[in-house]
Amino acid sequence: MTVTAADARTTRLVVSRRKEGDDPGALRYDTFDVAVGPRTTILDALVAIRRELDPTLTFRHSCFHASCGTCGMRVDGREGLACVTPVPTGDEVVVEPLGNLPVVSDLVVDMDVFYDDFDDAGRPLVRSSEKIPGAAKAEGIDQLERYEDCIECGICLSVCPVAGSDPRYVGPAALAAAWRVVEEPRGLDPGPVVRLMDDEQAAWRCHLAWECTEACPSGVDPAAAIMRLRRSAAAARARRLFSFGGTR
Amino acid sequence: MTTTLPRQPFHVAIVGGGGTGGALAHDLILRGFRVTLVERGEVTSGTTGRHHGLLHSGARYAVKDRESAVECIEEREILGRVCPGSFEENDGLFVAITDEDVAYEPLFFESCLASGIPARRVSREEALRLEPNLNPGLKMAVQVPDATMDAMRMPLRFFASAKAGGATIRPWTLVTELLVADRLVSGVRVRDLTNGVEEEIRADLVVNATGPWAEQLAVMADCDVPIRPSPGVLLAVRGRWCNMVVNRLHPSGDGDIVVPQRGLSVVGTSSWVVEDPDDLGVPEDHVERMYAEGAKMIPGIRTAERRAAWSAARPLIGSKDAESGRELSRTFKCFDHRETDGVEGFVTISGGKGTTLRAMAEATADMICRKVGVEAPCRTREVVTLPHTAYYAA
Amino acid sequence: MASTIVERGRPAAGPARRRGVLGWFDPRGRRLGGLAFILNRLTGIGLVAYLYLHLLILSMLVQGPDAWDDFVDVALSPPFLALDVLLLTGMLVHGLNGIRVGLVGLGLVASRQKALFIAALVIAAFVALVGALRIFAGE
Repeated sequence: MTVTAADARTTRLVVSRRKEGDDPGALRYDTFDVAVGPRTTILDALVAIRRELDPTLTFRHSCFHASCGTCGMRVDGREGLACVTPVPTGDEVVVEPLGNLPVVSDLVVDMDVFYDDFDDAGRPLVRSSEKIPGAAKAEGIDQLERYEDCIECGICLSVCPVAGSDPRYVGPAALAAAWRVVEEPRGLDPGPVVRLMDDEQAAWRCHLAWECTEACPSGVDPAAAIMRLRRSAAAARARRLFSFGGTR
Repeated sequence: MTTTLPRQPFHVAIVGGGGTGGALAHDLILRGFRVTLVERGEVTSGTTGRHHGLLHSGARYAVKDRESAVECIEEREILGRVCPGSFEENDGLFVAITDEDVAYEPLFFESCLASGIPARRVSREEALRLEPNLNPGLKMAVQVPDATMDAMRMPLRFFASAKAGGATIRPWTLVTELLVADRLVSGVRVRDLTNGVEEEIRADLVVNATGPWAEQLAVMADCDVPIRPSPGVLLAVRGRWCNMVVNRLHPSGDGDIVVPQRGLSVVGTSSWVVEDPDDLGVPEDHVERMYAEGAKMIPGIRTAERRAAWSAARPLIGSKDAESGRELSRTFKCFDHRETDGVEGFVTISGGKGTTLRAMAEATADMICRKVGVEAPCRTREVVTLPHTAYYAA
Repeated sequence: MASTIVERGRPAAGPARRRGVLGWFDPRGRRLGGLAFILNRLTGIGLVAYLYLHLLILSMLVQGPDAWDDFVDVALSPPFLALDVLLLTGMLVHGLNGIRVGLVGLGLVASRQKALFIAALVIAAFVALVGALRIFAGE
């Protein structure tokens, strides 16, 4: 951020701190005053704190533009990507790590847990691109491609009340990823993925709080994906039920 | 030269968890070295993760920087092979908007072919069919094999492979000192930021892969590296305005690339030079320039909603007297500090671009092997890297 | 203006978000879907509580006509009628939202869930209002 004298104000960040060996029940917050401008983001402010005040402050970040998904955190109790969350006006802003994942250090959460479930869905990274109206493929291009919307930020897992009460729930990201395999298999067999997610700790564990879809910074709509996955799972079960001696 | 390392294991400590560090860890592991990589933040959090994600065909450099252009097109093909399924392979268009652009085109086209970059002339009508959001006033275009990469997840594949191969990857680990005595570097002193513990990591060789921070690390061993951090502003707007990468058909300038990234379009970039890569700033007039220049190619960008504006520092090698950064080469260089500064056990790799991470690693690993006196061929052109999610495998 | 460290080690920063099952009922930061989630649980618990209460009351029949008549006097008092309206509202909300959960939850109407919830609340409010008028009018 470039903060000129004219547009600068001071904002107070109250940041959750945790180091290895700390008692997880005992919370600890450090308070910093930082100069900010009209476009300063939470991530900008954290970077300034780390550079000027406290190099031991740890937080994940990489792309600075809502594409890598590493900077998910809770700002004043609401999940978001720090790199595109403006510093709010007001006296103080509280910055905390995501929920429902183990905290490694300060604002850094352990993403191994997230990826263990996410990987099971086996979703490829690249999908077919939705058509820009009127667009054609260039010569030599077989099909137009784009990255899947999901940036693996973990925000959906953090807002989910069910994930908050049961660590065995695979979570919205994994289920949304599984749905994408059903919707666009790209050479994979969606059957095993549906069967994997047709489980009481997977697709059927959701209770439609819809918080994941509301909080997703990338437009994935995991809640709708879970419902569609349920329809596929229910349809597959019905088919199995009514196919006598079939090869399925 | 022998085929066995002088001692087993031969421990290389890499400082810097950007794309170069990750690719080097992968390369060295395959050659039988023992590797520890330390990074003060999250991997790719320095400069690597911030770029617009253009997987270069090299066409941008074909006219002025032939060496970079040839590097790019070779690496473009290799990366497509060892990181399969990691790119949006939609190609790119260089669009001519003005008469000057049209006059520049023949030189551009010939330079591409001379660099080994496949190029195809595209008429105005066809360009608008391929990319309907282009400026209808465009004159013509050239299609080249640019692609979109995920600036964080593609390098992460190298980290995943290195880790699976036995490398120790340590984020949140800050180097406080290089262990130096009698002009010999024997390791690094680090502080683990997750618990405050300080420790020494002994190594047979230390590699400086810190990109724009290369000078800051090198001075810890009394060495000098001619690196100039050269930031540029990037702008991400809402909306996927193109499927192909869109470039301006003119000598390199500000805001002349638009890269689609999921539901966003990234316009870049500009260029200036700074002293401290940790304090870049985001000059608002540069952001305005991105809007203006991007809109010349895709008018809809002018009024598109801003998602983010940020700066990223290129590590440019060259003379300390460079003014804007654009005149410095975009190629990379390995420095053996025994030759440049009389310090043993320490090498620096810097310069380069996101696209050439693997080539930079190969050159550095080759240099290390020569230095150590061992023959261990590079295997990273063939070995397919693991998916990025494997980095997080429990 | 310089940046400064103001304070270290504050033990709390506002009420912490509840974890676990209690977290289900914490409305802070929730949007419409999350509120529907909370409402369904509260009405569900309320209806279960009512069921036990109902059985308890019915058991009074065993105690003979006098006990029952005493109870009926209480049952016709305005505070009790108000509870009846509450019960009716709870049944409507839980039932109509339940239809939404059933339809959406099997992937039949996934993308219209917000509209369905609003519709459920509107219908519940309307029927509850009509019901309240009739209950208090003595029918």
